[in-house]
Amino acid sequence: MARIITIASGKGGTGKTTVTANLGICLSRLGKKVLLIDADVAMANLSLILGMQSSPITLHDVLLGEAQVHDAIYDGPEKLHFIPSGLSLDNYKRVDSERLSSIVNELNDNYDFILLDAAAGIEKNVLSAFSASQETLLVTMPTSPAIADALKTKLVAQRIGNKVIGVVINFVMGEKGEINKNETASILELPIYGVVPYDPEVRKSFMQQKVAPVSIRKPDSPAALEFKKLASRLIGLKVQDVQVKKQGLFSRILSKFKKKG
Amino acid sequence: MFNLLKRLSRGKVDETSRPSSQVEFLKDFLSKHNYIFSNDFEENLEILKKKHLVDSFIVTNFDGSVVVTSEDSSQNDGIMGTAMLSYIKSEIPTSEAVLIKKEDGWIMLFTLLQKVFIVNAGSELSNIELKALALELGILLEENKNNLFEKNMVKG
Repeated sequence: MARIITIASGKGGTGKTTVTANLGICLSRLGKKVLLIDADVAMANLSLILGMQSSPITLHDVLLGEAQVHDAIYDGPEKLHFIPSGLSLDNYKRVDSERLSSIVNELNDNYDFILLDAAAGIEKNVLSAFSASQETLLVTMPTSPAIADALKTKLVAQRIGNKVIGVVINFVMGEKGEINKNETASILELPIYGVVPYDPEVRKSFMQQKVAPVSIRKPDSPAALEFKKLASRLIGLKVQDVQVKKQGLFSRILSKFKKKG
Repeated sequence: MFNLLKRLSRGKVDETSRPSSQVEFLKDFLSKHNYIFSNDFEENLEILKKKHLVDSFIVTNFDGSVVVTSEDSSQNDGIMGTAMLSYIKSEIPTSEAVLIKKEDGWIMLFTLLQKVFIVNAGSELSNIELKALALELGILLEENKNNLFEKNMVKG
């Protein structure tokens, strides 16, 4: 039986898809059988982040009953499996996302983890992801609008009967005005599963000839290390808490010398 | 002074500050949406209405007899809704739910757990939302089966 987890946020641009891709890779590296599903049927882009955009059969085809689910499963990086959503706008209006539950159930026995990358918002497609999974991991940013949306998403997920297990705070820069980890936990009344620092390497991952998530391209970057810890936490391994520390001018110069040395 | 120099050495000055009033607002927000069920069945029906964002609901058997309702006078609505759903199901056997747009909202009819659910709400609910409401109602009904039986006996 797989743990089926929806990655959701409410607000767009919090990094749900990046978290899904990197978390999947890290879980796979920890020896887990992982399936990623792009459940954002309208604005799919998990395939772009994984560098797997040319997948002919997609979740759209399966939801429309025009293909078998096993034909839409592709081999992704680090042995993970992946079901992309269609990038074309033609089919998405015809798709009945409520069928997602039965598709996921069909695959339940083949994996340890099935991660559903949900759309932004709390509309029908997102409800379908909540309904198809037992658990939800919220991704937010350390700002009030993002946390407000995460809060509403939590309430909606619970209304559907889904268990919201925790929060990942993304894009943390350590600025004074950020809502910190303890406050976020207190507002959302949820445990914090990860604090991912703002890392330019994440952004640079999309700007390559061959796009690959940061956990593959720069596995020692601060964000990649936090994704690794997030995966460990999810499977119940003990990990040290992350300290988001800014590098001062002197340490930056020193590190440059160290690299050259 | 030392702090300023330290910040300057990092290459930029942090001009942000904690949005304390917004943090307090958000802390308060969740407390308004905590749905805690009590031992009072009628009160729990009100909580369910708020939680699932509906105005009222009626649960009937397939013969139209009301099992439970969030409103007082709904016997006629129950019979009418059940008859309408039964007619549509006979014409379109694969139909799962019937949604009726009113001037001031929606009526949604569907069956689950061998019962007919008639839900009134300001906006239409998806099948997933309707099922979630029905399942919670089903649990409440199961927990209060004996009480409801006694109540119906007295009414009857």
